[in-house]
Amino acid sequence: MLITHTHTHTHVSTMDRECASLLPSVCEVLADSGRSVPDDTSLEKLLDWFTGLTEAGGSLLEACPCLLKFISTVVHNTASDPGVLSFTLRLTGLMAATEDGFKMLQERSVLNQVFNLQHWQEAGLWDDPCLRIGWIQGLRSTLQHPKALSFFVQSDFIDPLLQLQTDTSLFVASAANQMLAHILLFFQKVSSAGSNGVNKKEEDLEPPAITMETSAEYSAVVKGISEYLKESLIPKENTKLHQSLQILKLLALLLAQAGPPLRDKLLQTVTESLEELVTAGCSQLTLPLMDVILAANSSSCPDGRVPGQRVARILSSMLSINNAADLCHAAAALLRRGHHDTVHTARAVRILLLPLDIITGPTLLGTNTTADEHLFSVVEQLKSKTSCISMICVCLTNTPQITLTPPGVLPCPPVLIVTAVVSLLRICSGSSSSSSTGCSEVCRNVIGSGKVQKCALEALTALNSSPGAKEKISEVFTILIQYLDNPDSDPTVLHKSYQALVKWIRVCTDLSLITDQLRQDLVEVVKKRACDMRWEVRDSTVEFLGHLAGVHVSVTLGEEVCDASEALLGGCCTTPLLKEALQDTESYVRASAISALAKTLTHSWQQGAALTEDQTEIVSRLLEILSQDTEGFPRRAVVQYFISWFFSRSSHSPPSSSTSSTSLLMQCVRTVLSQGSADLDWEVKVHTLELAELLLDQAFSAHRGYRKGSDAHCALQHPYGVVSDQAYTLHTHTGTHAEGVQSDLARVVEQGVISALLSGLVDCDRPVALKACRLLITLRETICPLSLGALDATAAMATVSCELLGKGWGQEITKILGMEKSDRALETDISAQRSFSGADGGGDSVTVSEVLRSLSLDERLEVLTQSSDHIHNSPLSLLQDILTASAAHTHPDTKPGQEVIVDCY
Amino acid sequence: MLDCGLDTTSVLNFLPLPLFFPSFQELKECAGRVFVDSQPEFCLPERELLDLSTIDVILISNYHCMMALPYITEHTGFTGTVYATEPTLQIGRLLMEELVKFMERVPKAQSATCWKNKEIQRMLPGPLKDAVDVWTWKRSYSMQEVNSALSKVQLVGYSQKVELFGAVQVSPLSSGYSLGSSNWIIQSHHEKVAYVSGSSLLTTHPQPMDQSSLKNSDVLILTGLTQMPTANPDGMLGEFCSNLAMTIRAGGNVLVPCYSSGVIYDLLECLYQFIESANLGTTPFYFISPVANSSLEFSQIFAEWLCHNKQSKVYLPEPPFPHAELIQTNKLKHYPSIHGDFSSEFRQPCVVFTGHPSLRFGDVVHFMELWGKSGLNTIIFTEPDFSYLDALAPYQPLAMKCVYCPIDTRLNFHQVSKLLKEVQPLHVVCPEQYTQPPLTQSHRSDLMLELQPPPMPYRRCSVLNLPFRRRYERVYILPELANSLVPSEIKPGVSMATVSAVLHSKDNKHTLQSVPKPPPVPPSKKRKRVMEEPPVVLAPKPLLSGAVPLEAFLATLQKHGITEVKVEETADGHILHLQADDTLIQLEEDGTHIVCDNNEPLRTTLRDLVLRFLQKL
Repeated sequence: MLITHTHTHTHVSTMDRECASLLPSVCEVLADSGRSVPDDTSLEKLLDWFTGLTEAGGSLLEACPCLLKFISTVVHNTASDPGVLSFTLRLTGLMAATEDGFKMLQERSVLNQVFNLQHWQEAGLWDDPCLRIGWIQGLRSTLQHPKALSFFVQSDFIDPLLQLQTDTSLFVASAANQMLAHILLFFQKVSSAGSNGVNKKEEDLEPPAITMETSAEYSAVVKGISEYLKESLIPKENTKLHQSLQILKLLALLLAQAGPPLRDKLLQTVTESLEELVTAGCSQLTLPLMDVILAANSSSCPDGRVPGQRVARILSSMLSINNAADLCHAAAALLRRGHHDTVHTARAVRILLLPLDIITGPTLLGTNTTADEHLFSVVEQLKSKTSCISMICVCLTNTPQITLTPPGVLPCPPVLIVTAVVSLLRICSGSSSSSSTGCSEVCRNVIGSGKVQKCALEALTALNSSPGAKEKISEVFTILIQYLDNPDSDPTVLHKSYQALVKWIRVCTDLSLITDQLRQDLVEVVKKRACDMRWEVRDSTVEFLGHLAGVHVSVTLGEEVCDASEALLGGCCTTPLLKEALQDTESYVRASAISALAKTLTHSWQQGAALTEDQTEIVSRLLEILSQDTEGFPRRAVVQYFISWFFSRSSHSPPSSSTSSTSLLMQCVRTVLSQGSADLDWEVKVHTLELAELLLDQAFSAHRGYRKGSDAHCALQHPYGVVSDQAYTLHTHTGTHAEGVQSDLARVVEQGVISALLSGLVDCDRPVALKACRLLITLRETICPLSLGALDATAAMATVSCELLGKGWGQEITKILGMEKSDRALETDISAQRSFSGADGGGDSVTVSEVLRSLSLDERLEVLTQSSDHIHNSPLSLLQDILTASAAHTHPDTKPGQEVIVDCY
Repeated sequence: MLDCGLDTTSVLNFLPLPLFFPSFQELKECAGRVFVDSQPEFCLPERELLDLSTIDVILISNYHCMMALPYITEHTGFTGTVYATEPTLQIGRLLMEELVKFMERVPKAQSATCWKNKEIQRMLPGPLKDAVDVWTWKRSYSMQEVNSALSKVQLVGYSQKVELFGAVQVSPLSSGYSLGSSNWIIQSHHEKVAYVSGSSLLTTHPQPMDQSSLKNSDVLILTGLTQMPTANPDGMLGEFCSNLAMTIRAGGNVLVPCYSSGVIYDLLECLYQFIESANLGTTPFYFISPVANSSLEFSQIFAEWLCHNKQSKVYLPEPPFPHAELIQTNKLKHYPSIHGDFSSEFRQPCVVFTGHPSLRFGDVVHFMELWGKSGLNTIIFTEPDFSYLDALAPYQPLAMKCVYCPIDTRLNFHQVSKLLKEVQPLHVVCPEQYTQPPLTQSHRSDLMLELQPPPMPYRRCSVLNLPFRRRYERVYILPELANSLVPSEIKPGVSMATVSAVLHSKDNKHTLQSVPKPPPVPPSKKRKRVMEEPPVVLAPKPLLSGAVPLEAFLATLQKHGITEVKVEETADGHILHLQADDTLIQLEEDGTHIVCDNNEPLRTTLRDLVLRFLQKL
């Protein structure tokens, strides 16, 4: 990559001029088969740039006449690199996308040359998938107007395109499919002029001019394609499945977007073949077939017209195919689509509940399961381990969806489904048997299966809000605790069990349903898991404690609210476990423990309660982590901890809040600001700046001109972050503006906020510098307002200064200030002169307002806002890269074949 | 005899050893259960069914399966040989020595016997009442008996073939369960029996299990499957570690009653990795056993018996087991007993590994007394041999936390089905218990053996006919005799010859020797002794083979003027009725009879005609 260091801002127009001057030589390089391009991506980028220019309304031919010569040179040179050829085909398509461009290219018979299939086949280049895809995509770009359609039809391209649909290269085959869909959908207006059935997206595009000729051509295309679909849909032999698969995909694409005339035409042609395909019962085609049928069904009018009824019939036969596993998949596909026809939905629900019913005992479907004619086939399938597990998982995944279906459709109350999932979990852990007889052969397939356990736990988690679920809470708790206690549960199963617990606690309005025994069991198991050998398990446990603290529940119905960890774990086990986890050898666990502690303590912070000995100890341990931990995650979490502490205190604390805790907090904040901004991890630094921001907000939110949360959109939601989404509301200050600002500024300086911001400003990590810069600008606007009325304030402000260290960021700032000073020598004021002399050695003191004015913050912001690779991504840089690389390649020293070949056609 | 394990669960009926109260009663009630106050006794292997003096060979699978050896080999007239691998012998000796020392340390003057009286036993409560064959229970053996018993052990190495009286060959194979543990192949020239006992497919310290040599067995005797089919060893190990860490963090001590060899090596290895991550680096680990030192050291020197991973460490050079490092860094300390150095160096909280897992004797009893009263402490059971509730019964009420994580690395049902699918024995013989789900979990149809053909179950004292017969025997032929044979080809590639020889059998080896020429009759007037007379050798008649083809035979008959032949088909062949001569010829698959009365010339003619169609040897 060519790296150009430039701090001045290049404007788009000048770049274009430069680019235009470079383009001819670039074309020369590309057309010269002896020289190679740096890598495949540069051609893609080049094409992107051209596409951008075209979309902006420019004409490529006018802007870059050299391209025409380039195209004909490349096309005539059979030794051209296939990549370049492919690029050329697509470029030609791009240029022919407008009618004018098309006309011009056709006049010079470029199109005929470029898309001449025979030419490529004879040259032996057609075998390269790269070229085939170029051909398809080039044509596809061209096909934006009726002239192109005529060209397409007259050139007899439809047959080769249909052949490409089953190309050996998946990319080519898929592009061909897309192209076929494009032709039919894009020009469907031609045939249905005046129809309002075309979807809105198409209407945004320029409607193709309609002539009788195009209409006839379009009809021919539709006929050709739909005949092909009809003929080729049924696989002749098993090896031809690929073709059927492709056609089904195409059909699904078409039916989802086609307007009524096209859709009816398609359906009329293929329905028979679809029916035949359903009867053929080919497992691999079940899902794509279902997609097509559902697309057809949802788009066909409910007015009872014949094709609609026929499609419904196909759907019915799809839901009674013989293979139980396929049937499950088909039913699941129907439910996923959110199908609204009750007959089919009810059927799908029964299909999906049957395996669960068989394993857990006949409760879900009532006693008439024998009426399900495929019962026998399902039981047989369930006896094989692999198909059993896969079927059960499909069923489980869909249970939450099933409970949401209307009561008339559901064969049992939703709460029974919860019970079934709980029983399945019990069977899976080997602790209970199925209540249905003769199913031990099936049950043994799921005992100990981690996959089924995970699926069932996920289902259980999602079932927490299903109607009537609350009455099952005790049962759910029992099984989840059992899973947490089971020595054989793998880390993911444990994690999911914890998640399920939290989710169920959230919906539980009355914790009195949880017996003391259950609570005690939970405490024991959590204690045990906090000592697990596997760090993933310890991490999940610690996270769970945090989540629990974040859930607020009422202990008994209608009584006071407290957090769930106190209600369930008795409050005596959470903090000690989390404190212990701060020493964990795994950094993720330490980080999770820190954020869990923050969540646990948030409530007491908000109450303004005095600090306990425990909390003081935690604080010193956290500061230790911040200064000594070798991993970034825990350090980030520490800064977040103090952010949430500070935020909870400043936003909630009542006047009675304990002074000792406030003073400890402020002391810590100072330490965090100084250590956090000197951290090696950029995220730690960004979080430190977030804390600085909170301090600024607190200090200045009452003042005129302060834009609070100026940066709010940039505050990323960090996984360990506990800052709530609500807007910051800080306490306001009273007093005269200038005095107030002055004292607030002095306090902010004293807290180390300004040092943190200045050090962030010169940080080499862009997000840090950007954040610091934004904050400094906000601060500048508050304390150095430009309005005249605030002059007195400026004067008062001049007395507040801050220290610059003689090394590191301090030196950097001093250097910048020195440069600015020499630029603006006339404006030098005495205090600044005093401050800037003798930059090396010990610390210097500078006036804050002066610093803020002298740092050219606005210019910095502009540079920082651009993405860090904006220079390398410019078209100019791309063109230069191509030229440089080609120069390097012609150099005798470089070996050929060293370039990175990226497959991205 | 295959293995001689000792049923030690009988000791659970006795009071723990140092809990000695001077009393005149044999029985003592403790927390609602009655215990015998006497030196603990063991239930011996069944001895009524067979005379131990007739046993020629005992094959030992692993050191846990030889604890009854002194009871079998001493004072019983046993004169046979015991075969075992070296680690099995050495570690077995350690375990026996430990057992003897535990018992001898706290001698009990009296031995309770009255309770064994049937009338009294019938009145007793609980498990005592139901104990079987209490009269056969024996006190521990002495060190002298141990030494004498072990002197009868003959060492063998894996895959070494040991010839037993010429009848069979036995050979031990690695079974992957413990150091030196073996499965045995017992084979003759034509039959192969595999004895699979205490095998493991898990990657622990011993050499992995040799599965391929078990293939093509006629019978596979399967025993020693895991006693804890529902407890997965990995999960249990995790449970062990987390409970240990949880207790130590809360300031409590952890007691691990265990054998001094076996799983403890894996536990120590696991802890070696775990203590760092759980911040337990400063917690001392104590291993207390009269044989602790030897056990830890032995494990390091049996390099060739270890898994590949550990073997390769020997060449680094590094001790194969990490417990060496634990000892070097003073994290693991071992003592022969709680007396002496231990008492002065003992620091709490700590983790103590000590025996005996039954909690009836050994240093563990002291720790139960010391720590049992505090809820901070935890006892973690890792050995699967004893029910932990029974083990704890005499210590009730107990405040100490109890955790049961039995670690049994032996094959589970899932693994054994896979193994059998791989090995494909013709028949499987196994204890009856393996053929049905466990009694307490009757719904777990996955916890049983399901095979095709179904396994042959056996139960205590049942006598089983193994489903194969010895049909063939290998016989050697001496070269000079072989030289004298005249083979004749009866069909392409198959030749036959008649042999006349003397069959000489010794040590189950059979040899054909030439028939000695009759010595010239000594000119003696002595009375003839039939016994010494060499067998009279007659020139053998040639043997006939082949079949008489009906059509061709009829044609031949006709050629010789016999035309009136009535052919009758029978089940075995044909009957030819020569009506003119009132003669029958029965042509059967394995014989031809000519029934011809009073017409010798015709009979001879017919015989010769028949012989034309047959080959002579």
